[in-house]
Amino acid sequence: MAPKKKEEPKPAAAPKPPEPEPPKEPEFNPAEVKLEFTAEQIEDFKDAFQLFDRTPTNEMKITYAQCGDLIRALGQNPTNAEVMHVLGKPKAEDMNVKMLDFDQFLPMHQHICKAKDRGTFEDFVEGLRVFDKEGNGTVMGAELRHVLATLGEKMKEDEVEQLMAGQEDANGCINYEAFVKHIMAG
Amino acid sequence: MGCGVTKSNQLQLKPCDRGNISVPAMRAALLIQRWYRQYVARLEMRRRCTWNIFQSIEYSGQQDHIKLYNFFGYLMDHFSSANSQRNLVSQMFGESEVFQDAEWERRFCYKDIEVPDVYTGPHLSFPLSISNVTELVHAFKNKQVQSFLSKQQNSFMYMLQSQSFSSVSGSCRSECLSADVSPQKLHARYVLQLLGKTWTLLRLMPNISHVGTCRHKEITICGDLHGHLEDLLLIFYKNGFPSAETPYVFNGDFVDRGKESIEILLVLFAFLLLYPHNVHLNRGNHEDHIVNLRYGFTKEVLGKYQVHGKMILKLLQKIFSWLPLATVIDQKVLILHGGISDKTDLNVIAKLDRHRFVSALRPLKRKGASAMLKEAALSADGDEEFSAGRRRVQSLSHGTPLRLRQELPRHSVHSESGRTGRSVEEELRERRRLAGLSLSSDSDPAEVLETDADEWKQIVDVLWSDPMSQNGCVPNKVRGGGCYWGPDVTQEVLDRHKLQLLIRSHECKQEGYEFCHNGRVLTIFSASNYYDVGSNRGAYIRLGPDLIPHFKQFQASRSTRELTLRQSVGRTERSALQALRMQLFAHKSALIREFQEYDPQRTGLISVKHWAAAVEKVLRLALPWRVLRSQLVTSSTQDGTLNYHDWVNQLSVIQPNTEIANTSLLETLYKHHSNLESIFRMIDTDHSGLISFEEFRQTWKLLSSHLQTDISDKAISDLAESIDFNKDGSIDINEFMEAFRLVEHSRAEMEVLPSPE
Repeated sequence: MAPKKKEEPKPAAAPKPPEPEPPKEPEFNPAEVKLEFTAEQIEDFKDAFQLFDRTPTNEMKITYAQCGDLIRALGQNPTNAEVMHVLGKPKAEDMNVKMLDFDQFLPMHQHICKAKDRGTFEDFVEGLRVFDKEGNGTVMGAELRHVLATLGEKMKEDEVEQLMAGQEDANGCINYEAFVKHIMAG
Repeated sequence: MGCGVTKSNQLQLKPCDRGNISVPAMRAALLIQRWYRQYVARLEMRRRCTWNIFQSIEYSGQQDHIKLYNFFGYLMDHFSSANSQRNLVSQMFGESEVFQDAEWERRFCYKDIEVPDVYTGPHLSFPLSISNVTELVHAFKNKQVQSFLSKQQNSFMYMLQSQSFSSVSGSCRSECLSADVSPQKLHARYVLQLLGKTWTLLRLMPNISHVGTCRHKEITICGDLHGHLEDLLLIFYKNGFPSAETPYVFNGDFVDRGKESIEILLVLFAFLLLYPHNVHLNRGNHEDHIVNLRYGFTKEVLGKYQVHGKMILKLLQKIFSWLPLATVIDQKVLILHGGISDKTDLNVIAKLDRHRFVSALRPLKRKGASAMLKEAALSADGDEEFSAGRRRVQSLSHGTPLRLRQELPRHSVHSESGRTGRSVEEELRERRRLAGLSLSSDSDPAEVLETDADEWKQIVDVLWSDPMSQNGCVPNKVRGGGCYWGPDVTQEVLDRHKLQLLIRSHECKQEGYEFCHNGRVLTIFSASNYYDVGSNRGAYIRLGPDLIPHFKQFQASRSTRELTLRQSVGRTERSALQALRMQLFAHKSALIREFQEYDPQRTGLISVKHWAAAVEKVLRLALPWRVLRSQLVTSSTQDGTLNYHDWVNQLSVIQPNTEIANTSLLETLYKHHSNLESIFRMIDTDHSGLISFEEFRQTWKLLSSHLQTDISDKAISDLAESIDFNKDGSIDINEFMEAFRLVEHSRAEMEVLPSPE
């Protein structure tokens, strides 16, 4: 008897949550953020901010689109949703147009820095272990690519390529501990 | 499988899983994506830092060069022939060699040069045929393949350090030293013949070439090549050789920095001779023998053509001065190398005698008045002080107040605007008054002098200027020549000439091209990997009758393709940091002094904030020092302070390959070695590569005048003796520079660390 290949009905009605969304937060209010950075840290941030500043007269302003990059360059790793949240959920067309100055940037950065659940090395490895079907410390490159491009805050194909460049062995497998180290070292 | 697209049949997610992706998997995906985005952002920041480093060092070197050159001009103009230094400079400039063109033609004659049978390179016959030129290109290409391995050692780091490309590795050097019969090098006879024909042709051309896109022809426009033959070949490969169907414009800076400048010139000139109506060459600021002395072209030619190099260089000097200054397409698109200024007037440019301006750095010589010409055209700035006996020197180190970091130009942005309200004429009058010169001693009427100054300024602006984002037009202090011009100037100048677009080069761009000024100015740069492997792409433009530019980008070098983004950023970054450390090392004493200003109690510690301020002040490079701190300061900093003696000692890991005991002389030597080398090469008028002790001593005297420091005679003699490697009484310039090329020594190799002062 042929095994019934019955598909379970997809819960099409229920929206597939793309990511575990943070509980509906009130809108981000910069005034409520208490700045806890030291003076030294602030100087460091200023330097980095200036590096991203492309204004003609070095006005110390960056675009909304750059904000996320700057926060990440300074060592945090928010999701895109988190970045949008601190920016006040701007429209897509505003991203390259609206600017923020350093004083506006600080509370946003502080909020992201305070967020819990940044993800440690272990969390990361745990995450990848989910895809380790054989429990041997490796995941299939192809599977990982698929996941990164279709789940969560999807990555584009060339971004996935970038990430995975040189990571797979001859069988298309990735040793994920090494992979995680590679990412976190960047 | 019924549902779901699978990338490969190894995908293990079963169909039924698709409906309820596990939460852990979701979390995992998010986590990875977040980390990836952080990784990319950090990489981008590192890349930007690296870029800033390279560009600031590059421009500061250029500025330095011009300062030196201005100093020579000053000597020439203000001292009589009784002064030995002035004579030295006069000799260096070769001002005694003035002949008519006919006489030069006789001297450049190739006819007596025999081509030996052992020569296996290309043979040219004139008029050139397509197969001749193709053969030439292939010959150079083959040589490329052979020397690929030695090219690997070619890094910008060497270039930066020596500022005049002394990185010829051992194997490469011996390759060059073999006589003019090495297989893929074009024989000197053909070189001179080709160049001679080129000179003849160029003398017939106007200052501004006018080109039309006839109905369906597309014109290809290339930017700086800087001796990167590989990039030129790549362009030809992708786009086709120049021909009647494929016209080209090459926008200057064919030579210097890269190792195959002469090959590029030969190829471009060959195509020019073949298709004079379809190949257009614009002059760049590097088509200038004075600049070539510093940036490697002179050295390359002398290395490759031991016997005839000097003659070749002389002929090239003529050719460079005869290169057209601009190209206009369909009366609508202006193409020139550097840029414009608010004074740019194409009518003036079209009418002047371009060949009189052999070097854009040196104004025309007129009795008693050239000082004024020079002062007027090269960066007039009302702020800098001058006194009667001492002319203003183009310099940041005399009297200009230290500006805050925000104000130092980082991306050729200038924060002052229009500080100088004076026009060229007013400047001249002022100078003349101060100099107390009576007009009667000068047989030329005042207007002629002003015309000269005006014309010279037109040319300098065209070859050296950079765009800036703010309105206005100010002197380009970063480079030391030309202007920074703003969008309002673009609009005014283009509208005045009824043009719609300005295409220029002169600045390296990461993607090979960049628009600015509301899309009316386009920078095109064709030397990929300019700073180092992986630093940038090159690009070229295809322009059809619709005059809308289409870009093609490329990146040469096999090794780039194999590197991941992270690896190439890492590699370029390492070069940049190394170059920066060398700059820091060169300023060791000044740094310690500056640190001590912040540490009156001599605790040996300063805050990070003060460290950054001090380094910026001493080095005069507008860089994000705090961001770079983690890579430049490896000793630990506790509560925001660092031990600066320790840090400076760390820098001492970089040392020259020599045993000079006098450390302060050493430091001066390293700090100014580019200037030193420029002077050496100028002194070496017979281009033998050797200078005598006496010339060496005079060089130092000259340098110390320029720097206004004291270098004792004894120190100089000691130095000269210790570096006379051949012990034959003369000093080999190449060996000298090689000895002072900084290398990293492991701590074990060093016996004694120089103690902090």
